[in-house]
Amino acid sequence: MQHSPEQQYSQEQKSPATNRKCISQSLFSAQVEKTVLLPEMYSPNEHPPTDPLAENNLQPFFVLHKASKSSESTAISPGRPTKRRFDSSPKVSLNNENKNENVKMEAFQCVWSKIESKIKDVLRSINADVFDEIGQWVRESFDEICSCRGPVDPSKSSLPYPFVHNGGLVKKLFTGLVFTKNIETVDDILTFAELGLNLKSRGCYVANISSLDFSTKNGIGGCLRAFMRQLLMVDIEAADVSLLAAWYSDHGKYEKPVVVIIEDMERCSGALLSDFINMLRYVIRILLLNFGTWRSDSLFVKVLLVAACKVSLSVFVLATVDLFKMADNNEWSVKIPIILIAGVATSADAPRNVLTARALQYLSTSIFSLKCPAERLDAIIEAVLVKNCAGFSVGHKVATFLRNYFLRQDGTVTSFVRALKMAIIQQLSIEPLSFVLKLLVDEGDSKRSWNEDLANLPEELIKHSFELPSYRKYSVNRNNHVELNAVSLGHGLSEMQRLQELWRFRLMCLYEAGRYHKVALLDLYLEALDPELYNSRLSNQGCDSAKDRSLLSNNDKLFKLQKAEVTNQVIRKIRDLPAAKLSQLLKSWERLTKGTMEVHEKIMELQSQMVSEDVKSHKAELTDISKRRINRRCLNVEKDACTSNDKAVTLAGQMIRDTMQPIECIPFHELICFKDVDNLQSALAGDPRRRIQIDLLNFYKILKCGCCSNSGGTLSPSMHDTSIMYTLAQEHGDLINLHDWFQSFKASISSSGKKGLKKLASPKKRKENTSSQNNSDALLQARFCRAVMELQISGLLRMPSKRRPDCVQRVAFGV
Amino acid sequence: MDVDEIEEEEFGFSRNYFLAKELGSSSRKKSARKLSEIDLVDEEELREVAASIEPKHEKEVNELISSYKSLYSKWLFVLRSGFALLMYGFGSKKALIEDFASKSLTEYSVVVVNGYLQSINLKQVVITLAELLWDQVKLRQKTTSGSLCKSQQPFNTRSISDLLTFLDSPDLEVEECFVCILVHNIDGPGLRDSDSQQCLASIAACSHVRMVASIDHVNAPLLWDKKMVHTQFDWYWCHVPTFAPYKVESMFFPFILAHGGSAQSVKTASIVLQSLTPNAQNVFKVLAEHQLAHPDEEGMPINNLYSTCRERFLVSSQVTLNSHLTEFKDHELIKTKRNSDGQDCLCIPLTNEALQKLIAEIV
Repeated sequence: MQHSPEQQYSQEQKSPATNRKCISQSLFSAQVEKTVLLPEMYSPNEHPPTDPLAENNLQPFFVLHKASKSSESTAISPGRPTKRRFDSSPKVSLNNENKNENVKMEAFQCVWSKIESKIKDVLRSINADVFDEIGQWVRESFDEICSCRGPVDPSKSSLPYPFVHNGGLVKKLFTGLVFTKNIETVDDILTFAELGLNLKSRGCYVANISSLDFSTKNGIGGCLRAFMRQLLMVDIEAADVSLLAAWYSDHGKYEKPVVVIIEDMERCSGALLSDFINMLRYVIRILLLNFGTWRSDSLFVKVLLVAACKVSLSVFVLATVDLFKMADNNEWSVKIPIILIAGVATSADAPRNVLTARALQYLSTSIFSLKCPAERLDAIIEAVLVKNCAGFSVGHKVATFLRNYFLRQDGTVTSFVRALKMAIIQQLSIEPLSFVLKLLVDEGDSKRSWNEDLANLPEELIKHSFELPSYRKYSVNRNNHVELNAVSLGHGLSEMQRLQELWRFRLMCLYEAGRYHKVALLDLYLEALDPELYNSRLSNQGCDSAKDRSLLSNNDKLFKLQKAEVTNQVIRKIRDLPAAKLSQLLKSWERLTKGTMEVHEKIMELQSQMVSEDVKSHKAELTDISKRRINRRCLNVEKDACTSNDKAVTLAGQMIRDTMQPIECIPFHELICFKDVDNLQSALAGDPRRRIQIDLLNFYKILKCGCCSNSGGTLSPSMHDTSIMYTLAQEHGDLINLHDWFQSFKASISSSGKKGLKKLASPKKRKENTSSQNNSDALLQARFCRAVMELQISGLLRMPSKRRPDCVQRVAFGV
Repeated sequence: MDVDEIEEEEFGFSRNYFLAKELGSSSRKKSARKLSEIDLVDEEELREVAASIEPKHEKEVNELISSYKSLYSKWLFVLRSGFALLMYGFGSKKALIEDFASKSLTEYSVVVVNGYLQSINLKQVVITLAELLWDQVKLRQKTTSGSLCKSQQPFNTRSISDLLTFLDSPDLEVEECFVCILVHNIDGPGLRDSDSQQCLASIAACSHVRMVASIDHVNAPLLWDKKMVHTQFDWYWCHVPTFAPYKVESMFFPFILAHGGSAQSVKTASIVLQSLTPNAQNVFKVLAEHQLAHPDEEGMPINNLYSTCRERFLVSSQVTLNSHLTEFKDHELIKTKRNSDGQDCLCIPLTNEALQKLIAEIV
């Protein structure tokens, strides 16, 4: 028997509470009452025992405060961020925090809305093919259902007897299985929502039902309700299929299919889904049926039902009826053309594993596949980070973290997008000047130059921008003394953009070459971002110029760089490309490098060379008759091709070396490039299990107190009680004997230094100490109890079980 | 008991694994000493003293907490950007979060949920949120356009999904209008079930709601699946240890040194017994006297108890006796054991001393 983590968690937590409850339920409640009633026992005229907040502490919830009116003055408009320009009047000062916040917010809204819409577009376009396919399939299925139905008399749609005309029954429920290729359904929520919209636009009625609606607790009523809510737009307590039929005959007029989309089939309760499928097939007119009392796991339901019989006689049956053995000849699929689409994460076996055999036999399945998450991620990276739609980019370390998080931990595109959003937020919070991102976006949109915006910046910010490490490094290297003003900042930014553009096109060139070998953009992107790689390339080049070049070609040296594996691989593989693909590649390169004359020319040159070769070989084939000669020609052509491949390789190498300057090597990059990987990591996924233990064990580092930090290893009585206790607990095994623990706690509190105790206790306390030993015992025990309680709240302890009443259990081992 | 044992065994495996991995496990302290060897003080006294424990490092703790004030503007920014804040780290974060709310979230209505309490009605919370949002919308509309939306059904009669739809409605025409919900201990006992968590997740997912929550349990993230974490809660994690004492949060936690003491059990038992009928009390007394008189026996066979009680006119039938016994069992005042003869015997799980005290109390 395995416990799911959640169960384990709740057991772990529950056990102390339940134990306690068992021991003294009545006392416990008496206690609670006592504490709860305490504040109320004082009449309002008397002085309250504590501040009024204490009363709130015992309310399940309370309103802390209502919104103040001041909001209008500061609220900004997220809906139309581009309309308002960045307010760059001299009023903006560093002191004016509110204003600053709004500038930040505006920049964020602007950048993020751009990125978000871009991501949506990308995902939409990546799914477009599959959606088309599905749409077509829906249409075909609908046609098939219609062809069975014959001419329809709408007035008969809700009659309790069958009205099949041409006898051709559709025994099947058309079902599309959409393979998500992703075990996590998170990414697919959006996909299925989009699919729903897409199908709606194609003239279907669509209901998206998630696995939550298929929980056994709500029973089949739950999923029917969800189904109806979406189609009929009303919340009906007693959902009824006949309502659906009535609605459909009113609205549908038999021209539109009804599509039911189930996002994650595997997560649904199998029995319930089977029932649902069965139900979609059958005409069952149910009156007075309270679905709430319907137990989903049994099909035997006590209902009052009017069953439609084949003899077209309505018979009232009042009995316990096997619902799905009744009315075997009537088809909902005839009356309401329902088509089912289900997301499947695993394999084609999924329906077989989930559904009952009976439900399974009614399905007529078709299979569709979505793109896998890695492909989606590549597309997003290309659109957002490489093509740099909003000017924002991330540093090499951050990109590496994101990649590893995606590949090793999370595997969802959603979390990648989340991380990106967090990165933008953090960038804007860290770097005061990063609102230039907004200017970049604006410029991209309206071709408006940012110079005047920059010119209005306050002095401090301009100064700050020239103190950025990247600029300092740059100016030291170049030894240039530019005037430090807004204009040169503007130039710097334009230069950064220009370099970024070059970098982007080169990367895309590489990616185009890599496509033939299925190289992921993510890997290339990472290598292209690496500043170390770039620097070592540069230094390598320096060496080369001095050395003899005859032995090794420039490129070969370049390839010797150990780290850039993927990039080198891609370049090397260019050599093996067949001529047709090479010319294809060159064409795409030509397209990509239109902006830069130098490289563009070289590519053109290569292309023309290839064309002439092509012509040559073509001619050769036409004119030369003897096989031998043809062979020789072919060899020649191959050799030529080789040389053009080589040239392409050389060109690629050159491009990388000359113009692929990673963002982190460009001055002013701090303004738009996020590099703080630690912050991002801790915000993205906290690690409470580790961090809380470290808090306890290294509390002095966080509190920065003088008295405990230099004690090193040994426990000083001035330490936080819980900290002492947890440190002591480390000495125990899995079980901690309470008696021993208490004694060692007592020892470390008192004996190791009477000084500590004295320092700790107030003069009044000390008097009491001398007066009664008992009191100090009580105090010690109270402190012990408090510490145990705090550890219990942190979940680091399990309370004593009945079998071992004198021991608590450690839960966490190893930090 | 069986369940308990199975659980113990299961944990045994994992425990052994982790122990084997820990270094120096051979030198672990092992001891079988009893808690009762400590001279335990009365629970009441313990609670009294506990309330007046002097906090250590008060200055440093205060400094630490006020050092987080510099983060308020960042947190606000994060909230406004659409994330929810999740605070974790050792120490009570209640005061910190409420301080943040009353300093930085003044423009928005704030509802506080005390997750450390035993039961919380989330529907009421949602109703309150909807009302606050409605107020906020009205306030804004009055000042901007002057046109009020049509009056609608009162919130407290609507279904929860309806309310959530309202909180999520994209067409409120008021920009950046949201209400905040602070949940102290979102992993607390009253919110730990999956239904509550689903409900909280769908609240957090609403476009006009921002959530700030705190967790204390190290395993709290196990409450959520990826869908909840990534698309509904959308947590932005903040590590903010405060080392402040868990005063309010631990209000309902039992004192570990108090529960085992005889005084505790006697008090419990006497409270239960005093709420019962005199006949039931007397039945208990018969049992107690028997146990005191025969300390070595396994307990009192049910038949003997029945005949004694009948003799004293305490019960008229086996059924009445059984109803009394059920009551006792429910409150764990008695236990059933089987003696060597195979008879079912009843005994009171208290020491003789405690029993004597108890009898003296209920007379």
